[in-house]
Amino acid sequence: MSIFYGKLCSVILKQVFGKNVQSVAECLFDSISRSLSVIIKTTNLTRREATTALAILIKFRLVTFTPSVSGLIPEYSLNRDAINYILRYPRYVHLAQTKFGENGSSIVEELIRSGCLPASAVIIKCMNNYDNKVKPELYRDVFNTMVTENYLIRLPVPKAREEVVSEVCPTLSIEDYEVFLPPDLDLMELMNVQNGNMQHCRDHEIFWQINFERFHQDFRDQVMVSAVEKKLGASAGECFKFILKTMYTKTNPWQQSYSNPFTLAEVKHLIDKSSKNLELMKYLDQYVSLIAEDSLGFIRKTGDMGGGQFVVDFERSFEELAYTTVESIITEKFGSKASRIFRVIRMKKYIEQEDIQKEAMIPAKEAKLLAYSLVQEQFLQIKTIRKAGGGGAGPAKAFYLFQIKLRQIVKMLLDICYKALYNAITRTDFEKNENKRLIDKSQKLESIVDAMRERGDAEEYIEEIRETMTPPEREIMDNVKLRLKTLANAELALDETIFLFQMYLFHTAYRPPVKTK
Amino acid sequence: MSSVETDHQLLGVIQSNPNGVTNDDIVKSLTNVSPQDRVLALNKLLQQGLIEVLKKGDKLIYRGKDPKKNSALPKDADNEEKIVYGLIEEGGNKGVWIRDIRVKSNLNLTQLNKILKNLEGKKLIKAVKSVNASKKKVYMLYNMEPDRSVTGGAWYQDQDFEAEFVDILNQQCLRFLQIKRDGAEKKREGPLAAKQFSCCTVKEVHKYISDLGISKVTLDEDDLETILKTVVYDGKAERIMTAESSYVYRAVECPVEPPGLVQLPCGICPVIKNCSNCGDVTPTTCEYMKQWLE
Repeated sequence: MSIFYGKLCSVILKQVFGKNVQSVAECLFDSISRSLSVIIKTTNLTRREATTALAILIKFRLVTFTPSVSGLIPEYSLNRDAINYILRYPRYVHLAQTKFGENGSSIVEELIRSGCLPASAVIIKCMNNYDNKVKPELYRDVFNTMVTENYLIRLPVPKAREEVVSEVCPTLSIEDYEVFLPPDLDLMELMNVQNGNMQHCRDHEIFWQINFERFHQDFRDQVMVSAVEKKLGASAGECFKFILKTMYTKTNPWQQSYSNPFTLAEVKHLIDKSSKNLELMKYLDQYVSLIAEDSLGFIRKTGDMGGGQFVVDFERSFEELAYTTVESIITEKFGSKASRIFRVIRMKKYIEQEDIQKEAMIPAKEAKLLAYSLVQEQFLQIKTIRKAGGGGAGPAKAFYLFQIKLRQIVKMLLDICYKALYNAITRTDFEKNENKRLIDKSQKLESIVDAMRERGDAEEYIEEIRETMTPPEREIMDNVKLRLKTLANAELALDETIFLFQMYLFHTAYRPPVKTK
Repeated sequence: MSSVETDHQLLGVIQSNPNGVTNDDIVKSLTNVSPQDRVLALNKLLQQGLIEVLKKGDKLIYRGKDPKKNSALPKDADNEEKIVYGLIEEGGNKGVWIRDIRVKSNLNLTQLNKILKNLEGKKLIKAVKSVNASKKKVYMLYNMEPDRSVTGGAWYQDQDFEAEFVDILNQQCLRFLQIKRDGAEKKREGPLAAKQFSCCTVKEVHKYISDLGISKVTLDEDDLETILKTVVYDGKAERIMTAESSYVYRAVECPVEPPGLVQLPCGICPVIKNCSNCGDVTPTTCEYMKQWLE
């Protein structure tokens, strides 16, 4: 957790929830947990404002509460990791769209918009969006599939009064079997309450949220599959997709370093059942051994059972991917010669300055310059080995060896990513503010034009209204729109880098930094 | 026995063993020569430059000298010149550093400099700058081809590293590997076969580069192996060890897209460390951002 991450969280929350939530979150970010009175005092908000802000954060599962040590007051703490998930919302919606179609994406959208909702409320909201053109059965079915496939998760509910230990704040709990238990929805009842009070719904106390972990698991699969695809071709990529599928039947998706073993026969069985790729079927064993032998090291052979027993090696995979990413960042930042030096050091582990230029075939002066710029920007470390003795007299006998500490580099780059993301958001705000008048004007115009269209006014009349925006104004507007689009795209691309680095840190850590079940 | 005959016999004994003979060997072979005559004869041969005296352990060894070698040195050369010349000759194509000459010959610096200059002027020896230390001059015989460790091999022109030459070779090697891979992929005989076909040995690359004729200098396989390694270090090829413990090379694609971080200027910004909300570097006034968004 760094200062930049704190700043980033602060601007994200301001953008999404406004100033009050931002200051409450800022206050909570600094400490493990705080009580309401402390929050009010530090933020200078009124009690009402602070509680509303807290309620919003709790609803979005960004804040949790526990009784204090004394047991007299509740204390609130911020779920810091989850805040940057907010920036991934478009990706979650997109994934739901590709997996479950239009209905799936609107369900995810509704849940994201409200943080958490009861199933019936989600369906009613979705239907209202489409003017009831889609039947509720459809939504219910999609909702149930999403629950059974773990894309949605049921939230814990307050315990019954007699079980409660502390009176200060409710204790939330849920039985294990209920977490992914599809809701029992009465559609008739739904139709009746559509415009009425939600309280009448049977499930109005059971809340659902999107299951970020499941979505992240899919993102991780995408990263790995596309790497295989890019390096070894489309068929190998498809093969790896099936390998992952086979692996998940036996392995907890967030197992840290490597998966439980699976056999070639199992993969073959799955592919025979569900693939149409003839080439893949014909050469399956070859594809599997191709992936296993490749320097990416995504899978590793562990035995000969069932035509060959393999494990998916997450630790190695993400180390390799992180290395490649770091290397291409170096290429962009310092040029291809610098990344050559970086790779030389990576392959040799420890190497002296003079040997670098010989291995990399770069003129001595340039090699020196590049190597030390990399050291200055913390991509390389220097290890000094001193010879014993020597004392004060004579030249000091020491060896200066270059080496790479990947974890350190990744953390440093992650920090830069957060900073870049923060900059992109700040810049977006700035651009919006600078052109506020124009943006407002064009929005107003658009809505007027839309309204006129609906009324069926004459086309020339509409054109006349449109022309209140002068050509230079229009040009500036187009420009601003383009800029905002570039920034938004950059934010999404940046998040992919962040995700990869986070996965690397998770899979190679001794203790997981990302919370898992 | 006449002294000339003794000389001949002695020379014959000494030259019969290319590794040289000790005094005892001479005594054994020439039983009829008195020690005085032997000494006289040895001194004469030494003066004529036909044999040399070496020390092995604490024993003296006499060894025949190739008379042709010395022919370069004019007859009027004095003793000091001979010694220096001899030392430089011993250095072979690796050359001798002036300090080593001084230590071995026991001559003082001014005298030695004079001798070296003299020999250089007569085109008997030459000074070669070493690539490893640009200030360090080494001396070797005029007609010697300097060793690779001195000149740096094919990659150096005088003392300068030829970066462009290396770059061109690097590109050509990569191109060859890529052509080979594309050819292998078209064959459609399964992924492992394709991988097998796309591997190139150093020999194949060597032949390709030689046939291209881009290099004026002749390159051997070791030279190309160094170049191929740079292709590997560029992340564009893989080095795979074969069963015969030699290496083959194949072109590979980078497994990840260019990372999102470098798609916006912050990823490559040289002053990102100074960037904050206040001060000279801020996201709202950033020049890089401005250029990027335009």
